[in-house]
Amino acid sequence: MSVEQNTDLIPLKVHGVLVDPNTDTQIVILRDETNTDVLPIWVGTAEGASIRLALEGLVPPRPMSHDLITSLTNHLGMTITHIVVTDVKNNTYYATIHLTSKGIERTVDARPSDAIALALRAKSPIYVTHDVLKRRGGENLDAWLAKLDPQQF
Amino acid sequence: MITQMNVRGLLFDPYNNAYIVILRDEQNSDMLPIWVGKSEASAISFALESITPPRPMTHDLMKSILDNVDAKVLSAVVTDLKDNTYFAKIHLWYGDSEYSIDSRPSDAIALALRTEAPIFTTEEVLRKQNSEELERWLENLKPEDFGKLDT
Repeated sequence: MSVEQNTDLIPLKVHGVLVDPNTDTQIVILRDETNTDVLPIWVGTAEGASIRLALEGLVPPRPMSHDLITSLTNHLGMTITHIVVTDVKNNTYYATIHLTSKGIERTVDARPSDAIALALRAKSPIYVTHDVLKRRGGENLDAWLAKLDPQQF
Repeated sequence: MITQMNVRGLLFDPYNNAYIVILRDEQNSDMLPIWVGKSEASAISFALESITPPRPMTHDLMKSILDNVDAKVLSAVVTDLKDNTYFAKIHLWYGDSEYSIDSRPSDAIALALRTEAPIFTTEEVLRKQNSEELERWLENLKPEDFGKLDT
């Protein structure tokens, strides 16, 4: 099944990483191409830092964990073709990483934070299913986002 | 010469707000203390305690990607120590070739523990560790720590 044929998948861009002052965790803000839908995903400190580094194109002096995975996949001739945020259950998001290795497509279960950190490094597209986007926070989320300081982005 | 090392445990270093992974050789005569960050320490401690988290952590994902293509971790080697920074390599077997990939020791150890691969270091690293440790200890000495000679 190719991505192009699957109209149920919506491409998203990483808009930024925010620090949630209430929980001391980080929030990755994903937006669709028309900026009408927002998908915020709460991630840990290390994952947030890793995504921020990739967004800013910074290469740390020593490879971080996601740089190591990128290096492993490159060495072994694998390509991360795309990632998909596939599900949300009890506020936990699920994702899959789609790889090709020797012409065979493979799918690996991952947390969205790891999947996004890898997709940014591989410059691979990020998708979400229509269903997940529909089921995210809703109005509460918009109110919550409106309160955020734009300078945090 | 390379020496096999075992992970003996994790300590918290309150002065640097960091964790120390303690590697020891089989005879318990040599030790490598490696300072690691909080998330790397938790990745190592999960593996030491054989805890499987509900969702795959970053190093579980690393293992899962390698398993998916039948790549095997042969070993993790702590290869160098420069200015208090350790360097490591992960040795992999994939297809019919061996690959070695540059890594931080924390990632290499977290992956080796999950794949039951041996961890090695070189005699040179052990020697440098001993001398760097002595230097660090000397640097931290204050003049008042020395005995007063004029009394």
